[in-house]
Amino acid sequence: MDAMKYLPLVLAGLMRRPARTLFTFLSITVAFILFGILAAIDGGMAHQLEAARLDRLLVDTRYGTQLPLAHLDRIARIPGVTVVAPRQILVGYYRDPKTPFGIIMTDRRFFDVRPELNATKEQIDTLLKTRTGALITVFSAKRFGWKVGDKVPVISNTLRRDGGHAWTFDIVGIIDDMDRPGKARYFIGNYDYMDQERTSQKGTVDRILVRIKDPARATQIGRAIDAAFANSDAPTRTGSEKSERQSDIRSIGDVGFFTRAVIAAVLFMLLFLTGNTMMQSVRERVSEFAVLKTLGFSDTAVLTLVLAEALVLCGLAAGAGLVIAKIGVPLIGEVSPDLGQLLLMPWPALLTGLGFALAVALVAGLVPALKARRLSIIEALRT
Amino acid sequence: MKEIIVVTWMSLRTIPGRWGSSLVVVVGMACAVGALVSILSMSAGFLRTMTSTGSPSRAIVMSDGALGEWGSTIAHDEAVTLTDMPGIARDGGGKPIVSADYIAYTLVSKKSDGLDTGVAVRGVSGEDPKLRPEIKLIAGRWFRPGQYEIVVGKGAQEEFEGLKVGDRVTLPEGEWLVTGTFESNGGANESELITDASTLLSAMRTSQYKSMTVRLASPASFTQFKNAITSRPGPALEISRESDYYAEQSKSFDEFLKTIAYVVGGIMGLGATFGALNTMYSAIAARAREIATLRAIGFGGAAVVVSVMSEALLFCLIGAALGVAFAWALFNGYQHSMGGLVIRLAVTPALALTGIGFALALGAIGGLFPAARAARMPIVDALRAV
Repeated sequence: MDAMKYLPLVLAGLMRRPARTLFTFLSITVAFILFGILAAIDGGMAHQLEAARLDRLLVDTRYGTQLPLAHLDRIARIPGVTVVAPRQILVGYYRDPKTPFGIIMTDRRFFDVRPELNATKEQIDTLLKTRTGALITVFSAKRFGWKVGDKVPVISNTLRRDGGHAWTFDIVGIIDDMDRPGKARYFIGNYDYMDQERTSQKGTVDRILVRIKDPARATQIGRAIDAAFANSDAPTRTGSEKSERQSDIRSIGDVGFFTRAVIAAVLFMLLFLTGNTMMQSVRERVSEFAVLKTLGFSDTAVLTLVLAEALVLCGLAAGAGLVIAKIGVPLIGEVSPDLGQLLLMPWPALLTGLGFALAVALVAGLVPALKARRLSIIEALRT
Repeated sequence: MKEIIVVTWMSLRTIPGRWGSSLVVVVGMACAVGALVSILSMSAGFLRTMTSTGSPSRAIVMSDGALGEWGSTIAHDEAVTLTDMPGIARDGGGKPIVSADYIAYTLVSKKSDGLDTGVAVRGVSGEDPKLRPEIKLIAGRWFRPGQYEIVVGKGAQEEFEGLKVGDRVTLPEGEWLVTGTFESNGGANESELITDASTLLSAMRTSQYKSMTVRLASPASFTQFKNAITSRPGPALEISRESDYYAEQSKSFDEFLKTIAYVVGGIMGLGATFGALNTMYSAIAARAREIATLRAIGFGGAAVVVSVMSEALLFCLIGAALGVAFAWALFNGYQHSMGGLVIRLAVTPALALTGIGFALALGAIGGLFPAARAARMPIVDALRAV
């Protein structure tokens, strides 16, 4: 590479004022750490949507009533439906009332609807044989420090028939979600345990999960399910897992708009910052550029030199920021599992970030570079 | 003191010669403060909505352990006994001012993106106008009990399709007629649909209410009311002052918004601070002779420090003002729905001060080190360069 021989010249230009280069560098690095975090938020949400299975429908209440168990048999008879599973969430907390979580109370069919869970047949059998049994994911086990054989009390808002609020579970196995290994927060218990112990809403569930044979018929089957219960005590609303997750994400606001707006502001700020650094640097080195031109550097070569400085500065700084973000995002998960499970930084985002950085460098470096190019030797050396 | 002012004024007058690099600080701070204040405006709007919903002179009763109205059930008989509790305000005819509420929801589509969203449908009892006087009809007429009729909150009507007066809303037992629009002081009720509780209960084929709200004889009667319920026989209930209930309900989401605001604003602010350091170091480099001369003729180090600091702070102040103005112009009053809750973002004076304080704190860091260097600059070396 012929161009490589100019690299020392580029670096010397940057290191002429180490403090200024350092502060500019840090500023860009910090900005791209933020870019990385925002990209990870976007990436995490995109991944959740991708992981949604098309052959799975969720049947929820249309107006806020619980769904009776009898709905399950009726749905199972609708053509195209292969598996139907009950789900009742038991909300509770372990030790810390501030971090409540949901326990999925269900039965064997749940594992047929969610084949991405790697529970073995033995694990499922043990769960069903143990009334108070529970299967938890690696994530949940780590979060609470539980292991197989532990007996854990969960304090729930759901009243027990003995008048208490403490629901005991025996951890019988640890499983994982193969679509989101280490990140899925499942805690699965027996529906019968809950239904026998609770005092109200017996024989009902809050959601029914359905698996269908042909994903292409999802809308049609969804309509058939809703039509079947339109005139019942508990009308339903059936949707695909994907649309469900979409509206979940949307319920906190337009996240995509937010991340784009912040990224735009950050890049705008960097444009000024880098532009100013390069401008100052070119202004100080007017006589040096004149000397270079005297030595035979063409106008274009000088322009390229200045642009190269901007590109190297932005590229390296942004690279550092993106690498820190890439390494740091999983660490956020170590500190706060709740936040960590929402974040996922895809590799392409790193490239996008680098692309933005180089674009900023080109735009910000253009005016100073043109100034260096236009410079006339005689006038510059006269001063 | 006088010398400080003189030196500061002198340095500020030289800014026009350096406006290019000063702009970096201004733009940097404007972006950081703009981001911070914009996100915080969501939190401010959300809190404003929630706090104007709850009143200290009302109490809300739910079943024990219910995390909110949705998870609560109150049996019909229970609701009847509750109306006789002491501490409840009574109207001219001696009737207690209470409402046993039921909440269902219905799906509507959001005007902006067509996404299906569940909005709350609240069934209220007859005494509601006395209980919640802030709910005022602004169009059409009130619903008639026993008829499938409903009134719609202003926020919900503006944000979602099919909620105009005369439209029909899908609920159990068919299509319910929208008869009127109400406002409610900008509170969360404006995101709801309101109808008669008994009509809604029978349509939902249930007899259990979700919650009971009472007007207290006076805000101080809360303890009397709460004690009376706690000491009565029957299932345990959870009694909260309504203002406390809404504050509690908004706490964790508000903390979430504030964390995001300060993480994003903080990181951008850090970037802007490095920019400010750059600018201020180059500013003192440009003024090296001037500063050395001042020191040589007897001006103190403090005067130099103050002049550099005030320059940094001035830039940050201008940047912060721009950032706040930008956030205000873009987002103040902007209607936004989070799930079924419609809020208006609010760039309040308190937020403007937060933004300015944030920028000044960062400006102080960005100015301090260069200022210290300027004050310690060896006079002889600086003058030798002349």
